[in-house]
Amino acid sequence: MNYIIIGASAAGISAIESIRTVDKNGKITIISDENYSIYSRCVLSYYLAGIVSEDKLKYREDDFYKKYNVNAILGKKVVSVLPDKKIKLSDGSEIPFDKLLIATGSRSKMENITGIEKEGVFGLRNIDDAKRIDLRLIKTKSAVMLGGGLIGLRAAYALHKRAVNVTVVVKSKHVLSQMMDEEGASFVQKRMQEQGINILTGLAAKEIIGDKEVKSVILENGNKIDCEIVVIGKGVQPNIELVKNTNIKTDWGIVVNEFLQTTVPDIYSAGDVAQSSDLITGESTINALWPNAIAQGKVAGLNMAGKNVKYSGSIGMNSVEFFDLPTISYGITKPKGEGFEMLIKKNSVKNIYKKIILKNNKLVGFVLVSDVNQSGVYGSLIEKKIDVSSIKNNLLDNNFNFAKILPLISENRKNFTEPEYDEILITNK
Amino acid sequence: MKKVYCEVSKCVGCKSCEIACAVEHSKSKTLFIAISEEPMPVHRRNVQSINKLIISDACHHCQEAPCVSACMSGAMYKDKDGSTQHDEEKCVGCWMCIMACPFGTISRRKKLAIKCDLCKDNVKGPMCVISCPTKALSLKDVQRGEL
Repeated sequence: MNYIIIGASAAGISAIESIRTVDKNGKITIISDENYSIYSRCVLSYYLAGIVSEDKLKYREDDFYKKYNVNAILGKKVVSVLPDKKIKLSDGSEIPFDKLLIATGSRSKMENITGIEKEGVFGLRNIDDAKRIDLRLIKTKSAVMLGGGLIGLRAAYALHKRAVNVTVVVKSKHVLSQMMDEEGASFVQKRMQEQGINILTGLAAKEIIGDKEVKSVILENGNKIDCEIVVIGKGVQPNIELVKNTNIKTDWGIVVNEFLQTTVPDIYSAGDVAQSSDLITGESTINALWPNAIAQGKVAGLNMAGKNVKYSGSIGMNSVEFFDLPTISYGITKPKGEGFEMLIKKNSVKNIYKKIILKNNKLVGFVLVSDVNQSGVYGSLIEKKIDVSSIKNNLLDNNFNFAKILPLISENRKNFTEPEYDEILITNK
Repeated sequence: MKKVYCEVSKCVGCKSCEIACAVEHSKSKTLFIAISEEPMPVHRRNVQSINKLIISDACHHCQEAPCVSACMSGAMYKDKDGSTQHDEEKCVGCWMCIMACPFGTISRRKKLAIKCDLCKDNVKGPMCVISCPTKALSLKDVQRGEL
């Protein structure tokens, strides 16, 4: 079998590992336009903050490709997927495949704003972005983040740690508006502001000005913020250009079925570029997140190697900590429509916020601030779609923990199929 | 692979396991000194209860470990012996593992994720098992089918 994997981040690497659990000898080629060892883009903001060294960006050993017997073509871009099971590289060469995985990921969405081409305007997506920002810090006093999502805030936190004067410009009413409700986000926003990060909400940038280099950002309200760096944190956009003019169906991303197959046989897609179904809402969407990419890479890899494994769906979830305030959001956090029930617990003095969203007595989402330790237990109830009527009044208790769901596990054995649950219940009679 | 099992009928909730765990993971490895260490050592095993049922729970070293899949820095990994281990050097404190663990067995200590490591650095084996006065805890082979 001749496998080709395009993209060497979470989904691609995960696929290699899973293919090799089934097929020890098949030929695997991975192609990446980045000429680096395997690194984690999610750790880039920690690198930029100076918290970890470049070496710590690596989440697999340097000899990974050798160990897994993979031919790695690095620093070359795949420009198109051709008919007759071939792909074409930027240097014009063509490579045939039996099974193809498109895991090309996504890129920073760059806004259509005047002056975006100026020196000093960055995304924060690749190691090169982080390095270029880092190099510029020597002449930087102030920076403006456009966007108050996870990328914008992570970049803001990182640059603040590097003693840069940071302003975050957020178009929405509050930060992290994609990730959580206003009340939960207010804890994060307040903490960041207290620590000296300037956050402007309900505002957009109108223009980036300067000669060759960025000098300042003009806001909609006419205000001007002087800065040497602008980071665009307006979300990401899937890299689907290589499948243009093919029969591979695209929407926002590359559309895949529950086996992570595209609409063309033997071509699979996983990670930030793949549009699959959302486990909770059932909608066809992209939850461009590390754990989803790993899980998808694993399923796609197994199926490419001949197994028949279904992907249960991606989940919109996120975990982040700024200035010692951890926050986890999961599933539906801002319900729209009818039939939702909300459980809320709040302590503004202790910065504790817990919100659980239910529908038909099943958990569909939550937001936790400060006390996040049991979030995975809630997550499993969501994932396994368990009726929680019997413990609804205890869900927000301070001592809520795994033991509290043991009766639910006993009642719903068919949903808890992992061997670990058997191991617990064997001794639990 | 072995992991620690808790026989619920024998667990009286004395929390000896929690103390033994925290002491084993302290700098001094002595209770009286450990309690004044900064940061305070954290136990990775938790005694929990519901109704009259008491269980001492910690990492189950899952076959398909969700924490390993979720870890974006490569800190959480499956060891050769099948146990799930954590490289604190690589941890950035993003809490993706906490978000992913269906048993809630990972906790935070400052900027580091903390979980049961089966006392891998101690030849005597898991100290919770040794400390358990009712023998509710035991280290046993795991029988799991193929994936």
